[in-house]
Amino acid sequence: MTFLFWILATLSVIGGLGMLLSRKAVHSALWLALTMMCLAVLYVAQSAVFLGTVQVIVYTGAVMMLFLFVLMLIGVSAADSLRESIRGQRPVAVLVAVALGATLIAAVGNALDFSVGLQAANAEYGGNVQGLAALMFGRYLIAFEATAALLITAALGATILAHRERLFPRQDQRTRSVERFRSGVHPGQRPSPGVYARHNAVDVPALLPDGSAVPDSIPGPLRARGTVREIDATATEEVLDRLVGGAASDTGGER
Amino acid sequence: MTTTLLLLVLLAPALGAAVLLLGGRRTNAWGPLAAIGVMGAATAGALALFGAMLTRPAAERPVGVLLYEWLAVGDLRVPFGLYLDQLSMSFVLLITIVGTLIHVYSLGYMAHDPDRRLFFGYLNLFVAAMLLLVLADNYLLLYVGWEGVGLASYLLIGFYRRRASAATAAKKAFLINRVGDFGLSVAIMVMFTMIGAVTFSAVDAGIVAMPGWVPLVLGLLLLLAAAGKSAQFPLQAWLFDAMEGPTPVSALIHAATMVTAGVYLIVRSAAIYDLSETARTAVIVVGGISILFGAIVGSARDDIKKALAGSTMSQIGYMVLAAGLGPIGYVFAIFHLLTHGFFKANLFLGAGSVMHGMNDEVNMRRYGGLAWVMRLTFITFLIGYLAIIGVPPFAGFYSKDSIIEAALAHSWTAGIVAWLGAGLTAMYMTRMVMMTFLTKRRWQPDAHPHESPPVMIIPMALLALGSAVLGYLLVMNDAFEHWLEPVTGFVHEDPPLAMPIVYGITFGVVGLGVLIGVLANLHPAAEAPTRVNPLVRAARADLYGDAINEGLFMRPGQVLTAATVITDRRIVDGAVMAVADLSTGAGDQLRRVENGFVRSYSLALVAGAVIVLAALLLLRIA
Amino acid sequence: MTPISVVDIDYVALAPVIIVLVAAVIGVLLEAFLPEAARRSGQLLLTGSAVALAFLTVLIVAASRPFGPIAGGSLMLDGPGLFLQGLILLTSGTAILIMADRRVDPGGDAFAGRVSTLPGGEEEREVSRRGLMQTEVWPLMLFCIGGLLLFVTSNDLLTLFIALEILSLPLYLLVGMARRRRLLSQEAALKYFLMGALASAILLFGSALAYAYAGTIEFAGIAERISERTTANTLVIAAVALILVGLLFKIGAVPFGQWVPDVYQGAPTPVTGFMAAAVKVAAVGALLRVLYVPFGGMRWEWEPVLWIVASLTMLIGSLVALAQSDIKRMLAYSSIANAGFILIGVAAADQVGLSSVLFYLLAYSVATLAAFGIVTMVRVPTGEATSLEQWAGIGRRSPLLATAFSLILLSFAGIPLTAGFIAKFGVFTAAITAGALPLVIVGIVASAIAAALYVRIIVRMYFTDPVSASAGVASPSPLTVAGVGLGVALTVILGVFPQPVLNLVEQTSIFVR
Repeated sequence: MTFLFWILATLSVIGGLGMLLSRKAVHSALWLALTMMCLAVLYVAQSAVFLGTVQVIVYTGAVMMLFLFVLMLIGVSAADSLRESIRGQRPVAVLVAVALGATLIAAVGNALDFSVGLQAANAEYGGNVQGLAALMFGRYLIAFEATAALLITAALGATILAHRERLFPRQDQRTRSVERFRSGVHPGQRPSPGVYARHNAVDVPALLPDGSAVPDSIPGPLRARGTVREIDATATEEVLDRLVGGAASDTGGER
Repeated sequence: MTTTLLLLVLLAPALGAAVLLLGGRRTNAWGPLAAIGVMGAATAGALALFGAMLTRPAAERPVGVLLYEWLAVGDLRVPFGLYLDQLSMSFVLLITIVGTLIHVYSLGYMAHDPDRRLFFGYLNLFVAAMLLLVLADNYLLLYVGWEGVGLASYLLIGFYRRRASAATAAKKAFLINRVGDFGLSVAIMVMFTMIGAVTFSAVDAGIVAMPGWVPLVLGLLLLLAAAGKSAQFPLQAWLFDAMEGPTPVSALIHAATMVTAGVYLIVRSAAIYDLSETARTAVIVVGGISILFGAIVGSARDDIKKALAGSTMSQIGYMVLAAGLGPIGYVFAIFHLLTHGFFKANLFLGAGSVMHGMNDEVNMRRYGGLAWVMRLTFITFLIGYLAIIGVPPFAGFYSKDSIIEAALAHSWTAGIVAWLGAGLTAMYMTRMVMMTFLTKRRWQPDAHPHESPPVMIIPMALLALGSAVLGYLLVMNDAFEHWLEPVTGFVHEDPPLAMPIVYGITFGVVGLGVLIGVLANLHPAAEAPTRVNPLVRAARADLYGDAINEGLFMRPGQVLTAATVITDRRIVDGAVMAVADLSTGAGDQLRRVENGFVRSYSLALVAGAVIVLAALLLLRIA
Repeated sequence: MTPISVVDIDYVALAPVIIVLVAAVIGVLLEAFLPEAARRSGQLLLTGSAVALAFLTVLIVAASRPFGPIAGGSLMLDGPGLFLQGLILLTSGTAILIMADRRVDPGGDAFAGRVSTLPGGEEEREVSRRGLMQTEVWPLMLFCIGGLLLFVTSNDLLTLFIALEILSLPLYLLVGMARRRRLLSQEAALKYFLMGALASAILLFGSALAYAYAGTIEFAGIAERISERTTANTLVIAAVALILVGLLFKIGAVPFGQWVPDVYQGAPTPVTGFMAAAVKVAAVGALLRVLYVPFGGMRWEWEPVLWIVASLTMLIGSLVALAQSDIKRMLAYSSIANAGFILIGVAAADQVGLSSVLFYLLAYSVATLAAFGIVTMVRVPTGEATSLEQWAGIGRRSPLLATAFSLILLSFAGIPLTAGFIAKFGVFTAAITAGALPLVIVGIVASAIAAALYVRIIVRMYFTDPVSASAGVASPSPLTVAGVGLGVALTVILGVFPQPVLNLVEQTSIFVR
């Protein structure tokens, strides 16, 4: 019994320290899980079977897993700044923590001079669970019922903070495309620029079948910068001839 | 009947204040008249009470009225009760009569101020609080009035909102008064702890059985309170700045009534001071220093109101000194308080009338020759002047001379201080009259002095009448001594010198003061003489043929006055502002701890927990 | 083997709590089933009538039920508990009046239309365009009030802790729901939540140690164990220390109240008023019970600690308040300073002390609520005018409001003929009788400092000329007027005729053990 206690006690303290000192949030959560497991075993070892089980199911099972899910979803990374910006915060914090530990140990350490029989307590109502039930539905009924208010508040709060009503009508593909056509802007893809092999020429406009340039085919930034190239008419003719000449045999004159 | 009248006296001004302050602009038109109306009602009530009191034999004159039990905490029961005896009756008459006259005067003085209604509302509020102060039958209720007059005074000092200096002055008055209030509140706490009661009668009865330190501590604490309210050394600095308020306020609050509340407190607590020689000596010392300090400042200032404020401090110093003499002086303290209430209000209203005619100019160096322009003002001012320097048969002669005799009977030091004060008073008051009314005109180009309207002159005339005859009326057949004796006790002691010698010395000193005052101020300069270049100035004085005068009297006087003014400015002002800065500065420093970071807050929380834990553990071990 | 016994519950004695919590649950259902348009009025009706009914029930219970433990011993029915419940309902009712106002802010009430929308986003604009309101605040308020009612009557450490959580959780939410300056409000909520969780943990740790010491968490049992102790046991010392810290946190005492200014500034102003009044009342009530009942036997140990905490709280609260330029932060620090004055009475540790604290709580809470109510009315186009500079010249534009605010400030300053004077006088005399003269001297000094502060604001309102950025005064709805008017009226009445209430607190100020 004592042996088990020391092992678990050591482990749970290590878990706690690990949680504090890990740089990655996920690691912290796992360390915390270790501590909670150790506590659960300690509870069971002291005949508080129900408490031990609940500890595993609720904390290790539900709460910790929720933590991990949240961490995975929002993606806290180790790159987040952990630099302390308040001067003296860290050393003072360590000092205060040590002092708190020391005073608590001094206060608690020399005072544990009694123990209440757990066996007797468990035996009174015929078991650990029954004993808890007797307290919860008997002496502490009001406290137990009052926790309902706590749960409702929590649920209500979560709803308020997280629930977004639909303030604007739902947007699906149909409404979006209708909206796009209604808005009067060019609905489809714009013509691509006339890319000739002479150079990497996105700055040259595409040509319409009549040989006139399509200004919209040049990317906006280039137009704004004013670096659009004019199309030299002779060059166009030349290219046209070459294209028509070369392609006529393949595609039947399609440009 | 008495109850109804008392309530009338007390509630009429309170009602006036409530209507004027809460009524808003609707009351603008008739508000000031209503304020005067309620004052008239209060005065009528006070006179009726006085008449009724006179018909009763001396032993039955005091009346107590229990309105209701105000609060009962533990064993302490505090009634909301009023108590009217000869002492409070004297005050009620002073407050209502002088108050009404000054209300009427303000009608003319404030005629063009858009905030007239507020001004009259505050004045009514002040009168109500002051009446509560003197009518309360216990220290706690007195404290209510005490805070109330402080608040009203504060509001009125800062009345000219557009002047930054007014706000500063108001703040300073408030801060210094807090020091005095601290004394009073701690004194009340001590009374409660040691005696278990705070009513005057219970304290008077209970103090006798107390160990010796209780009257001493109470006496010193009450002295602190009195010094704060009555602008006595070392808490006098606010009074000079308080002159930023409108002149009627200076007359009513900072000359005739509120500043004398400290004297009232000391006389009211006679039973406590009778038991502690040391406390009485402290009172005498404070009073004595204030007599000289105020007089010296009074001779240094060119600002007519500040010079008068110095005079107020000095005259109240006489009252405090007299109160400190014990049963031989209480009566004379109140006697001088009453006459001073009249002649100082008279002087202030005169100064106000001069300012009214001179575009609110306060610098006496810009006055001169006004006697021929403002004849009525000059005459009333002159009566006030004769009263304050103690020329028989004007009021100040009787009251001040009684104090000088009593001071001599107490000790040579006190007597000599009183004489010295009388001489200085004569000197600076003569200077004031010379510079303002008699010497050649030094007006600013845009000044067109004119006589004030009758609504201002009539109150001044009535006050002048009081300044002239009140002393004689009260001293006839020792009327005032007999009147007040049942309350404060009275012991007559002869001074160590024969009366003719005392009178002789007094007149000699006063005469010398007047002489110096006249000679030194035959040709005042329009600009304050600068001290930076004495040679040039001596030459300039030579040019005016005034070298001896300047060299013999002005110079030492100026050095002395400069020294006191500097003390006042540097040390007292410095201390007040340092306290203010210190609190604000400390606040600024402490605010930095509040950095907005949760981790820092948690650290403080846990550190606090550790300290609590460690402290408890250590206590257990120890 | 003992069969499980059924506890006998006196439902009448428990009725105030039940009414409030059941109304809260009904409120949640209204949210689900009422159409948007009817929700606000429905919730207001429900909340208002629940609080009023609960207040009546408190009176009935006080008149008709014998004092003693109820609900199996979890709660204690006694004079201070009932007085505090009544006071909590009174102040909550007033706070609800101010909260319900939707006239001072053209956008709606003091809360964000939809808390889930991003601050400054498209959706937020749409919400305010449609004038939507987050009506869930009303059930949250009711839950919080229910927690407060439980908090002041709890008779064991477990119920105390659960009540603390019931009252805290809705507050964390309400703090973050301001309509204006939402980021500040959300930051405040998060801070309050984190700090509150830490303080709760400390309180819980202390409770566990108390259990380890006494073998019970019932107040009477702990008191008995302490009274029969023979040897020094440091376990109970640690328990007292940690429980004390947990409760002093809620009261906002230095150094545990650093959250107060940030949270009071960020929260919607009516909620700030509610926190400064009702929540502080409840926290002080719980502290009184915990210190006087279970740990009353250790008076000599905790008293010096309270002395120090009270002195620090008064001095630092008053001093830092002087340095503030934001009216809400200033009032926050002033509430810290007031907490210090209250602790003077708590430290007196006897019946006189208890009754003086009860009176102080009444005087302070009504004045505070009115003060924050007035803050909601003084506005610039972007929201409340919280910067003190914007208050310049308010006295000229709106004399009535400025007069009311001045009265409240004078009461805070302890000027006679206001409730604040009687209250301060009460705690000071109580402390003197208990031999705490040094503490009283510190108190008088601190109140002198604070007086300068309050007078500075009065000067600002009356003696400073309005600047261009000065605030205007919105015309409030009758609800706010009623709430503020009640506070101001009580401030004056309690100053002039305090005796009936003084008698009441004197009669009620005995804890049943």
